[in-house]
Amino acid sequence: MRRIVPWVVPFLLLAAWQAAGDVGWLSGRVLPTPVAVARAGAQLAESGELGLHLRVSFQRAAVGFLIGGGIGLILGMFTGVSRSAESFLDGTLQMLRTVPHLAMIPLVILWFGVGESAKVFLVALGVLFPIYLNTYHGVRSVDPGLIEMGRVYGLGRWQLVVRVLLPGASASILVGVRYALGVMWLTLIVAETIAATSGIGSLAMNAREFLRTDVVVLCILLYAVLGKLADSSARLLERWWLPWHPAFARMPVKADPGDPDGDNR
Amino acid sequence: MSPGVDIEASGIRRAFGSKVVLAGLDIAAAPGEFVVVVGRSGCGKSTLLRLLAGLDKPDDGEVRVGGEPLRGLYPAARVVFQDGRLLPWLRVGANVALGLSSRETHRAAEVLAEVGLAERSHDWPAILSGGQRQRVALARALAASPRLLLLDEPLGSLDALTRLEMQRLLERLWQRAGFTSVLITHDVEEAVALGNRVIHLANGRVLGEWVVDLPRPRPRGNAQFTELVQHILETVMRIDQGILR
Ligand SMILES: Nc1ncnc2c1ncn2[C@@H]1O[C@H](COP(=O)(O)OP(=O)(O)O)[C@@H](O)[C@H]1O
Ligand SMILES: [Mg+2]
Repeated sequence: MRRIVPWVVPFLLLAAWQAAGDVGWLSGRVLPTPVAVARAGAQLAESGELGLHLRVSFQRAAVGFLIGGGIGLILGMFTGVSRSAESFLDGTLQMLRTVPHLAMIPLVILWFGVGESAKVFLVALGVLFPIYLNTYHGVRSVDPGLIEMGRVYGLGRWQLVVRVLLPGASASILVGVRYALGVMWLTLIVAETIAATSGIGSLAMNAREFLRTDVVVLCILLYAVLGKLADSSARLLERWWLPWHPAFARMPVKADPGDPDGDNR
Repeated sequence: MSPGVDIEASGIRRAFGSKVVLAGLDIAAAPGEFVVVVGRSGCGKSTLLRLLAGLDKPDDGEVRVGGEPLRGLYPAARVVFQDGRLLPWLRVGANVALGLSSRETHRAAEVLAEVGLAERSHDWPAILSGGQRQRVALARALAASPRLLLLDEPLGSLDALTRLEMQRLLERLWQRAGFTSVLITHDVEEAVALGNRVIHLANGRVLGEWVVDLPRPRPRGNAQFTELVQHILETVMRIDQGILR
């Protein structure tokens, strides 16, 4: 019963939507019925077109995320660990961060044309800063007592990074990852809608030209599903990466005022 | 060669801004000795310990370990902190093995067994009790077979019963391994139970020193023990109150 309750309202809305279309209150031009959208999806899936566009979009997202996230992570570790790297780089990065990356689209098209690199570049650029910022802040907010302990217990610089700083920053880094995943899809939607010959966004734009509202709605729903999937995988990543963290792991609740990590959600 | 190393600090001065915390203090511990420093909260005990550990430098004066002036950290020294400072993202066993070379990692299981937590090796620190966490911290400190152990109120936040247990454990481990110990505490009874020597820190200097010549382990009910605790407590309070006034 508990599990059904949250689905009642969406189901009723869907039914009402379908009924409104069937009765003729909603023109198929304006908003096709759920059944029509599903049918369009089935057709596109059958022809293989849907799979192709999905794969292209997913690939762009993944490659851009890995490049931008990787650079952001490394830069954030650098500026977090080393004061000289911080004074050398952080100011510049903070300045660049204020430029909305989507404003770069015309310039990026001039540079790369409408090919793959333009989209990957934009995604990477959008993802870089949230990951950078959260890594940097994560490393900086690691308990100095733990760093001091690490030094007393004979950890070298590299060991200190791997054993203390990176794990200590990981909760913050994952917050950055979740935020960056949102930025990633948004960037991709905009970039594919404006300049692309493949991918979900271009599928939607083509459909618009042929007045295929059902396909347009399908594409919007697909983006929603992909976004949700990305968010769920980030949550899984938290569970997997932070099994020690009382906020993410299924640990028995333990009240201990002396423990700064003992907070439970 | 004794496993313990001697440590000597002379003429130590340390100020933070205009606040002089240590004002020309001398303190020494012979190899294998157990020295306890007592003093009221804020009198500079932790500051002193950080200087002995090489985590901080004195403005004036010198710390010598094994006859050599201390530069940076002494590699065979370990510190047990009041808050334990276990890494929450490493399981208990991995915490104890922190900083051990691959040849030494078997020591982790050994010392964990010595503090009675062998079966908790795979637990996360977050699920341990305060006392268990301090025992893990102690095991971690002993895993590398240190020659000098510096303890900053390691039992300060534990309940009375756990404290007693931990004091016995600490004494046993020290007797077995023979390292030099400098323990900081605000509990005079604990000081008399553990120390060869009790040192009173006040006003940035050593203002009192007592040799505790009682057989170990020292039973609390013993008349001599109680008498010495009373005597030290009264002296310490008289001096501290004089300073406050
Ligand atoms: N890093 C620091 N900066 C400024 N003041 C400090 C610092 N460390 C300690 N102090 C001051 O030195 C005094 C002694 O501190 P501490 O050694 O921690 O005392 P205790 O451990 O005996 O309670 C306190 O007044 C504290 O505020
Ligand atoms: Mg202190």
